[in-house]
Amino acid sequence: MSVLITLLLTALLATFAGFVMPSSEVRRVSGIGFALALVFLGVNWGEDQVLFNGLYVFDAFARGITLVVLLAALMAVLVGTRYLAATQAERFEYYALLGYAVLGAHVIGATTNLVVMLIGIEILSIPLYVLAGFRRDLESYEASVKYFLLGAAASGILFYGIVLHYGATGAFTVGAAGEGLLYFAAMALILTGLGFKVALVPFQWWTPDVYQGSPTPVTLFMASGVKAAAFAALARVLVGSGLEGPWGALFALMVALTVLFGNLAALVQNEAKRVLAYSSIAHAGYAALALLGPDAGPALGYYLFAYAISTGLAFGVLSVVDEGKGVPYGALRGLLQRAPLLGVGWVFAMLSLAGIPPFVGFWAKYLVILEAARGGAYGLVVFALLTSVVAAFYYLRLLALAAFSAPASMEVPAARSGARFALVVAAGLVVLLGLWAGLGFGLFANAAALAP
Amino acid sequence: MIHLFVFLPALAGLVALFAPGMARRLGIVASGLTFLIGLGLFAQYPGEGYAFVTQTPLLEPVGVYYALGLDGTSLALALAIALVTFAGLIVLRDVPGRMVALALLMETGLLGIVSSLDLILFYVFYEATLIPSMLMLGLFGGQNRVRALVKFALFTLTGSLLMLAAILAARYLGGAESFLLEDLLAHRLDGAAAVWAFAAFALAFLVKTPLFPVHTWLPDFHAENHPSGLADVMGTLYKVGLYGFFRWAMPLFPAGFAEFQGLLLALAAVTALYGAWVAFAQTDWKRLLAYGALSHMGVGALGLFSGTEEGAIGAIFLLAASSVYTGALFLFAGMMHRRFGTLELTPTRGLAQHAPALAAFTLILVLAMVGLPGLAGFPGEFMSLLGAWQASPWLTLVGFSAVIASAAYALTAYQRVFHETPERPAGDLSRREWAFAVLATLGIVLLGVYPKVFSAVIEPSAQVFAQLVGGGL
Repeated sequence: MSVLITLLLTALLATFAGFVMPSSEVRRVSGIGFALALVFLGVNWGEDQVLFNGLYVFDAFARGITLVVLLAALMAVLVGTRYLAATQAERFEYYALLGYAVLGAHVIGATTNLVVMLIGIEILSIPLYVLAGFRRDLESYEASVKYFLLGAAASGILFYGIVLHYGATGAFTVGAAGEGLLYFAAMALILTGLGFKVALVPFQWWTPDVYQGSPTPVTLFMASGVKAAAFAALARVLVGSGLEGPWGALFALMVALTVLFGNLAALVQNEAKRVLAYSSIAHAGYAALALLGPDAGPALGYYLFAYAISTGLAFGVLSVVDEGKGVPYGALRGLLQRAPLLGVGWVFAMLSLAGIPPFVGFWAKYLVILEAARGGAYGLVVFALLTSVVAAFYYLRLLALAAFSAPASMEVPAARSGARFALVVAAGLVVLLGLWAGLGFGLFANAAALAP
Repeated sequence: MIHLFVFLPALAGLVALFAPGMARRLGIVASGLTFLIGLGLFAQYPGEGYAFVTQTPLLEPVGVYYALGLDGTSLALALAIALVTFAGLIVLRDVPGRMVALALLMETGLLGIVSSLDLILFYVFYEATLIPSMLMLGLFGGQNRVRALVKFALFTLTGSLLMLAAILAARYLGGAESFLLEDLLAHRLDGAAAVWAFAAFALAFLVKTPLFPVHTWLPDFHAENHPSGLADVMGTLYKVGLYGFFRWAMPLFPAGFAEFQGLLLALAAVTALYGAWVAFAQTDWKRLLAYGALSHMGVGALGLFSGTEEGAIGAIFLLAASSVYTGALFLFAGMMHRRFGTLELTPTRGLAQHAPALAAFTLILVLAMVGLPGLAGFPGEFMSLLGAWQASPWLTLVGFSAVIASAAYALTAYQRVFHETPERPAGDLSRREWAFAVLATLGIVLLGVYPKVFSAVIEPSAQVFAQLVGGGL
């Protein structure tokens, strides 16, 4: 409860503070608000709360997702300053909108009611449509419009699915028993809508353009925080309704196509943000592997957590390097010599995303694959592992560019102290959690607790 | 003590990473201490079974443990690793500090590989060692380093990711409670699952042995590494494929191994002959050594895949001993590069007249590589072929002809570099190089004259291995 109130107040305060103080002060307001929410989250750790007649369920899974979202938001606030100043995009609304998006993500994570979930998705999505267009150029506008049109269509489909779900089962809670054609249609529509939000193939088309066009710190938040929230919704629905029979096969097919498409398409890109966009599609596929297992909660949650740190680190480095025009490969050349901190962060992020031990990404990938194997999806496991060799290829290429290529110029991107702090913490976590695998694995609930 | 043995190099490596100026001195002290601890463990080793076992939960909900322990085989290999790293760091003067740091990190990874008693932990060390290896190649390598690096990494990763799938199968299809070695051995797979799982493990370990069709990363990897040869030494130690077969793949899936034994023996024999054959055509020291070592691994694999006790002892002995003399030869190549600025075999003719000591020590190493009795190469090759004969006499003949061929390439190269008319003067051994040469030669002669010092500790674990695998065809 205190987390919810803190986030609401943070967003409101940032909205009105902008009238009386400069945007850099608003940044501080929202940063402190997120940090405070993190503190309340830590203080209330281990206490389940069910409020508003079961509309707000603050269980272990919700706490884990909220943790991921808050870390992503703090990261976006801390590393974004230079980028926003360079692109003249730092206006106080930025922080207010980010505050609402975090609130929405929290609401999605902490409910088992489909209508509240939809409301959370809208609270999250609408600010993001605006944030995607926050840099005043054509690419950013295009990202915004594309994201809005497809996102609105996805929400519409989801909405329709929820209505049919109510018609078929008489309830808005996930996992309500139902059968027949109407229930089938409802679940198909709900899965389609949520599939859009988490970018599973064949609903992934918006991702590359939106990730590339949006301001880089916003992309950071989309890739880590928004993805976690969208997966929370998908996990609640799927675990609640079960994946028996044709649904399981269909979902497995989607996962296979997702890892295949994401990795193959990432292979042929020549711009770093776009590569990471396609790689995030592939990672959505890996995360979804966990949902095929008997106890999806811990593995999925840990994967989202690990991915958020690793991809947050990668986009954090890009936020510092990027001047608003994207990051072509040449800009990464020799980063390790030019700016050792950024270079080391980048190398760690690439190794972790590629799933090489002893980095946190390895344990995350190991856990989801284990989960899918326990669910009996051996073929899919082998397929996912083979595609991750393809992934290793482009991550290694990005790593080699930053670490082994001679730089064209010795110009050093200057990270501000806040950004430096965030990058050091993220890089430290990537290694620490990798070495001490047991740490953090207990953050998330078991699947039995996911459904109401 | 075993924690210190495994992690001391990494600690020193991390310090050295931030203070590259003192990296070399730190590296010598740390790797020397590690070697001494290794000797201490060797002295305390009771003679059979696993000793110094330690076990702590790492990721308890899914049965992953931090479990270390050493048996005779791992101890022999660990000692070879510690010795070779130490010797390499003594002799090298002109390597960058960060490279020393990476070599130390890699030493920890290698020691971890041979002392892991949990399959996931083994996998973690196995993969993690890739990182310093890649960084050494990428940061300090030659012209085409990125291509060599990508080739090396992708070959390794393809194999090991499939292995990860098989690791999960090994536990969940077998019904074991954890990934601990003893637990997995108590619940071994059978039937088709064992065949598939063994195939996945075999692919990963064949790449890392390496054997014939999947060896192509090896020559590029060695040719593109830093000319001093430190990275090559560490890369040689990283060829842990045979150990992987010995400790994990064959004991865990004997049914799968039985399916593939014929194929594996044939691949091993082909590798032995092919490596020696191609080595003959090389004009570059490092490529020559790379193919020569490939040929050796073929002979060792022939012994191991026989599934017999003698073959296993021979293979492990050869693996440990060859990492000593192959590593030393890479470092000697580095010495020649320092004197002539090139690794080509021709422009450095007649070296023996200017540098007699260098010539003598190199000859000892080359003869060890050829498998001259009395030096470290012979006992391993002999035992391997002895084991292989019991499984397949014809393929043993092929492997044996590789031993003859090895004399051809090694002695030809030696003659080109050291004999014939001198072209340019070059200095003889420095004091540091003397120390290294004496250390390496002592090791090689000791292992050659009194192989029992190693084979006695390997023997009990080879017996266990042969029982588990079931004695071959």
